[in-house]
Amino acid sequence: MRIRNFWAALLIGVPLAFMAAFFLVPFGVVVIASFQDKAGAWSLANYARILGDSYYPNVLYVTFKLSLLATLMSFLIGYPIAYYIVAVVQSRAARRFCYILVIMPLFTSNIVRSFGWMILLGRQGLVNTTLMTLGLTERPVQILFTELSIVIGLTYILVPFMVLTVAGVLQTIDRSLVEASLDLGASRFATFARVTFPLSLPGVVAGSLIVFTLAVSAYVVPSIMSGGRTVVMAMSIFEQYGSLFDFNFGAALAVGLLVVTLVLIALSLLFIERQPSGRQAMNG
Amino acid sequence: MTLSERIGRFLLVTLVWAGLAFLALPLIIIVAISFTETEYLTFPPVGFTLRWYERFLADTSYLDSIGLSASLAFASTAIAVLIGVPVALAITRSTLPGMRIVNTIFLAPLILPTIVIGAALLQYASILGFARSYTALLVGHVVIVVPYILRTVLASLARFDRTLEEAALDLGASGFSTFFLVTLPIIKPGLVAGALFALIISWINVELSIFNTTAALMPIPVKLFNYVQYSIDPMVAAISAATIYVAIVAVVLLDVMVGIDRVAASQK
Repeated sequence: MRIRNFWAALLIGVPLAFMAAFFLVPFGVVVIASFQDKAGAWSLANYARILGDSYYPNVLYVTFKLSLLATLMSFLIGYPIAYYIVAVVQSRAARRFCYILVIMPLFTSNIVRSFGWMILLGRQGLVNTTLMTLGLTERPVQILFTELSIVIGLTYILVPFMVLTVAGVLQTIDRSLVEASLDLGASRFATFARVTFPLSLPGVVAGSLIVFTLAVSAYVVPSIMSGGRTVVMAMSIFEQYGSLFDFNFGAALAVGLLVVTLVLIALSLLFIERQPSGRQAMNG
Repeated sequence: MTLSERIGRFLLVTLVWAGLAFLALPLIIIVAISFTETEYLTFPPVGFTLRWYERFLADTSYLDSIGLSASLAFASTAIAVLIGVPVALAITRSTLPGMRIVNTIFLAPLILPTIVIGAALLQYASILGFARSYTALLVGHVVIVVPYILRTVLASLARFDRTLEEAALDLGASGFSTFFLVTLPIIKPGLVAGALFALIISWINVELSIFNTTAALMPIPVKLFNYVQYSIDPMVAAISAATIYVAIVAVVLLDVMVGIDRVAASQK
């Protein structure tokens, strides 16, 4: 069934007006505000202030560093899970159980999940008591409210996104390629290293892109897990809007974060489009 | 399998189940300590009591927050369905130009930082005079949940055998009856999956809501967020556990109605 273009235009008219009014125009407002001073005159002062001293470049550096570590950790934990679910698990019931474990955290708020880690990582927490019972340390180690706890918290919220994205691509890999490799005498390791893994790379890139973007803009987890001791981009933006009421400077920080995100997306898309199975990764 | 392959398999399975345990652990801990009889948080919990649940259910400000969150979740999902389904139909079934751009606009909130969407909405609503209102919260939630509906419905429409619709039209059904009797039932699994994701995404959101809340207008995750930063006690664990129970219900519904393994690979 084709829809006549007249009806199609009518169908998308109202939704498009909604998105324009509450999504596109507000973004325009932010971009414009970032180039104005408080009096409303055009100015580059906000951007000059961001680059003016080392404070915000350092916030950006910390945000990037923690996001990169969390992305790497999500890959190391998430890839094996995705591979296991798609290529190893035989029964549908077991596969569903694994997916439930992956999706459950995704359905729980970042606060609740961070709260769980506060309890685990605290001085009297399970992690410290385990370390002491094993004799690895005599006194509780300070893990909570450090950069390490932020990376743990971020990794925890991001792993499910990595698993689902990679699993989506692994599923599209033609099994006969894997069987051909095994039939021709390659070991399972070699088959994985030279057939499955290269074919799953677009999924890894797409997953890392999603995970990194979410990490760079994360607010709740760094706020809770740092105890306010480490400041990331999203915290700076909220501080300007929520407590200092400097909307213009906040807008410049928001535009900065937005530009960084868009550049990353563009770079990854460029990579994915070049891969044979890349389009499936994005559209599949 | 050779010996080294067996060892490899063993290492993989160990690694994977450690990873899955890592995913479940914080949630299990929270549920467990929400029943502790102690006044402070401790694991393993001591004794068993429902006191902390009673305390938070007796506090109307928490119930108000839960009510607000539920209202936002259902209203934004309903509006997102009304927006997402027609857009998906227009994208897949028309020859209008610019559909790729339309698609990108509606899916963009998925990839753009939610904190920036929240900031933008506050700044815009301040200019128009509806900042920190239910309307500001609602339109924001619609914007961020629309992609979830659109994506799953687009996927169902792409897989769909169009001859079924043509048969209905040939047999004299109107465009409307064809949509409600043929198209809608076929895209229903995608729609249900998208709607459940949308409900949950709205229900757990902090980054967007936090910009437009007031003391009297505070969704439950934002209220929890403010609370957790100053004090943590078994009551917070009980409230958190309650939201975990909601998540369990949603995941079970998703599995029963659509099959979680089918949805999972299409959600990313």
